[in-house]
Amino acid sequence: MMIFNELYGVYYNTVSKIIKAAVNKKISSDEMRTIIEKYAYSESLLTIEPALKEKRWQLLRADGTTPIKNPPATPLTDLQKRWLKAVSLDSRIKLFECDFDFLEDVEPLFTEEDYYIFDKYSDGDDFEDAEYIKNFRKILEAIKLRQPLRIKMTNRKGSFSEECVIPEHLEYSEKDDKFRLIASGNRFCRTINLGRIISCEYASDNIPESGISHDSSAEKCVTLTLSDSRNTLERAMLHFSHFRKEAVRMDENNYRLRINYSKDDETELVIRILSFGPTVKVTEPESFVNLIKDRLKKQQSCGLF
Amino acid sequence: MAYNELIKNFERIRSYMREFYVYGFKSREEYTVKSTRSYDDERRRVESWLGDCMSFHRTPDGKNMFISIDSRVSRHNPLYKALKSKSFTDGDITLHFIIFDILLPNGEAKTLHEITDSIDKNYLSSFSAPRFYDESTVRKKLAEYVKEGIIKTEKKGKTVFYRRAEDTELNCPDVLDFYSEAAPCGVIGSFLLDRTEEHEDHFAFKHHYITQALDSEILCSLFSAMHNKNEVEISNLNRKSEAPVTIRLVPLNIFISVQNGRQYLLGYIRSNRRIRSFRLDYILKVKELGAADDFDTLREKLTGMHKHIWGVSTQGGSERTEHVEFTVHYDPGEEFIYKRLVREKRCGTVEKLDENSCRFTAEVYDSNEMIPWIRTFIGRITDISFSNKEAELRFKNDIRNMYDLYDLNEE
Repeated sequence: MMIFNELYGVYYNTVSKIIKAAVNKKISSDEMRTIIEKYAYSESLLTIEPALKEKRWQLLRADGTTPIKNPPATPLTDLQKRWLKAVSLDSRIKLFECDFDFLEDVEPLFTEEDYYIFDKYSDGDDFEDAEYIKNFRKILEAIKLRQPLRIKMTNRKGSFSEECVIPEHLEYSEKDDKFRLIASGNRFCRTINLGRIISCEYASDNIPESGISHDSSAEKCVTLTLSDSRNTLERAMLHFSHFRKEAVRMDENNYRLRINYSKDDETELVIRILSFGPTVKVTEPESFVNLIKDRLKKQQSCGLF
Repeated sequence: MAYNELIKNFERIRSYMREFYVYGFKSREEYTVKSTRSYDDERRRVESWLGDCMSFHRTPDGKNMFISIDSRVSRHNPLYKALKSKSFTDGDITLHFIIFDILLPNGEAKTLHEITDSIDKNYLSSFSAPRFYDESTVRKKLAEYVKEGIIKTEKKGKTVFYRRAEDTELNCPDVLDFYSEAAPCGVIGSFLLDRTEEHEDHFAFKHHYITQALDSEILCSLFSAMHNKNEVEISNLNRKSEAPVTIRLVPLNIFISVQNGRQYLLGYIRSNRRIRSFRLDYILKVKELGAADDFDTLREKLTGMHKHIWGVSTQGGSERTEHVEFTVHYDPGEEFIYKRLVREKRCGTVEKLDENSCRFTAEVYDSNEMIPWIRTFIGRITDISFSNKEAELRFKNDIRNMYDLYDLNEE
């Protein structure tokens, strides 16, 4: 069972699409190129087209027909089935309406006993709660139908509110173990934690398209300098790797890292930078430097020393 | 050898991609592990696979390539593309599509001779210079597919018959969109997505460490070994030595961090009777060995140790633990600080001292592992105590050094 196997490769997949287009009819060079450009890598045109045309891969005749009689399809491999079986045992699977009966006799590739996420927050969503599942499914359906939703929820202080939004997509955080609905059409309500939703239903409100704003995450930038002691370079680069970022070496032991982040995540980023201690320093912008300084000044007044 | 977009071995490109993605500041000359020609080829491949995600900056030392991806925006992990680049021969791909056209769904099983004959007569004869596949080549390919589970065999007398495995499909793209990013070995979900019809996906991911994709093969091998309760031999790099070291161990669990992007194997080493952690991105190879009869007992032992493990450090499973406690203060209306401590406490405990302060305590194998987390409460820590006095001193000195760093020396 190998993951790195040509059976799962881009080339096999692309050629499969080409053959599918050529079964029972001729495929033109243009059609073939369109498929390659869509499904393969950016330089694949240089390989796949000549290999088929020069008959090194004897799957297309000179006239653009194929000796293959049926649209290509391969059964699922054991690896694919075992991964699906593992997924079918995951606690979040009940959110989806999906039938896994065909995997009855299959051994899972892994179970929840085989791995442990040690730094996930403990107040994640209750994915097995019937109301939560109902809301999740309703929201997912509304996203697909692009149907406005009227959502009743509790806020952080525990009071109730009701908002009408256009659901855009669901965002999952592995760290928080929570889903959020990213919405538009309501400038006061762009992100809704699913765990706070009491109920949701299709709204008859006609939310004007002009009210839809996709600018839910105004991007900001912070610049850090890292000194490579205590393996900081490796730790910081990996830690911040999920952001769009750019690193430059300044001298033998010092590096500059620019991180693009969403304004909504600023507080979180402040404490993540603090976690590196004195080996990481914020240099720009001044406003971010002040956020760090404020925390440190507050610490000075805590009487720790 | 002429440049080929596809590769036979994933290991070399794995390290290049990690360098481009995680670091991204090295110049061409610094990639000294292989020749500069090798660097040029690998860079060209990654550019071809990842297109828009590749950028470069010019420095006096030359052009430095890097991969920059906002994983919150990118709905599917672009690094999966690298795992779809396995090379093959001209004969392999031709044979693949013909075999599955001969062995149809619900079609009758066929002998090796019938398949080989059909390849010749029904498929290749229409080419002016047809390829020739002898029975041995076809048998080998069929055997490969039997191993992957996509072809089944049955024996009638002495004759082996081949038939296509049952066609099943998961008709639920939402599940694949979600789990291809959220489940271990998610790249397999991406392989399954490649088989589905085009559809719009509706999930985005925050705090999403996509670099783990590069370790999928290693992770998959370890899952397989744990499932079979087998020992393994790993070829492992460490920061102290250039050359990989071979270690025999019983793989017990995979510890995954969703806050720093690392994955670890926790395994028992018989030779020194210790449970140790190994970073997956430092493991180059996994070889499955024979059965570990005490697998269940060892795993139970590790589970019992969870109450003292903050991150992955086990101190080998010794009895010795270190005590850590600290107090934080919060203002009225900042009750969320208490809640934050409670949700992030892992194996520790949190106790409310009064309306505006609470205390965290833990008994851990390695208090050094906790320090980065404790620093996230800077601004609120009124008291701190470690039984490991060296760690406590380091923590306090670091705070003083941070004051210096930002010119906040106390007068």
